[in-house]
Amino acid sequence: MSAAQPGAAPTARSMEFQPVQGGQETTSAEALLVAAYLVMWVLVFGFLAMSWRRQGRLEARVGDLERTIDGGKAPRP
Amino acid sequence: MKTAKDGVFSTLLVLSVVTFAVLIAFVFLRVPEAQPQAGGLAQKIFYFHVPAAYAMYLSAVVGFVASALYLYRATDARDAWAQAGAECAVCFGTLVLTSGPLWAKKAWGVYWTWEPRLTTLLLTVLVYAAVVMLRTFSASGEAERRFAAALTVLGTVTLPIVHYSVKKWGGNHPTVIREGGGGLGHPDMKTALWLGFFAMTLLAAVLIWSRARLALTSHRLNALEERVAADGLGEAA
Repeated sequence: MSAAQPGAAPTARSMEFQPVQGGQETTSAEALLVAAYLVMWVLVFGFLAMSWRRQGRLEARVGDLERTIDGGKAPRP
Repeated sequence: MKTAKDGVFSTLLVLSVVTFAVLIAFVFLRVPEAQPQAGGLAQKIFYFHVPAAYAMYLSAVVGFVASALYLYRATDARDAWAQAGAECAVCFGTLVLTSGPLWAKKAWGVYWTWEPRLTTLLLTVLVYAAVVMLRTFSASGEAERRFAAALTVLGTVTLPIVHYSVKKWGGNHPTVIREGGGGLGHPDMKTALWLGFFAMTLLAAVLIWSRARLALTSHRLNALEERVAADGLGEAA
């Protein structure tokens, strides 16, 4: 792997994978790959879970509203 | 009662799940390992890292269009789509910002470096996160909505900077798709990438649509609660 050449044109430098000066590659690719896929699905499902919770809160509000309307329609004593 | 919209949404959802299953199988069983400079096996992160970045752009564009339209003429629907766009931009942006460093650790030897694309992307995601925070923790009045819409428009201005940062300022981040950049030497790699784009487009459509629907339902419920309060039904109960 060649290190980034500070004097090179931006386009030339951005065409290839370059190691960062002083960086050390010791982690296994398998572990990083599994971690990346796990993080991805955790994020997506976390986002879905948030949507689900928000839907639950909306349903609770609909329930309150229904009770309010039913109470309002009840004949007054 | 199920509507035609429900049918389209369910179809998109099923198609999204199937496409992701095919993508994952294809990436792990068919696509060859990349060169060590690209991270070797870790390069397989690329097939959802880049499509996730594209999905972030897509979400941001939805947010931008809806916000601009909202600033022109305010409606609940426009606000809902603007909110959904910003939320999904944060979701996909976080995906990019977490998957990228894991790949970078293998390809560059470090998780993070303050190079142009990474820095500009982080700033963009922070702008959208600010929009989401504003909408979550502040009141839902007209002023807050307009401020959030303006901030979303501002966030979109940073997208071209993120996109062209590599060409303009160089840095470590490679250009692997166009202009002969390294990383896609095998035809199966290109197929996997396009499949990734398709899968992420479907996922983005499903997430943006569902979040917009939620926001719109919330707006309608607010309006209904105000009407009930105005009619004095709550007091009668």
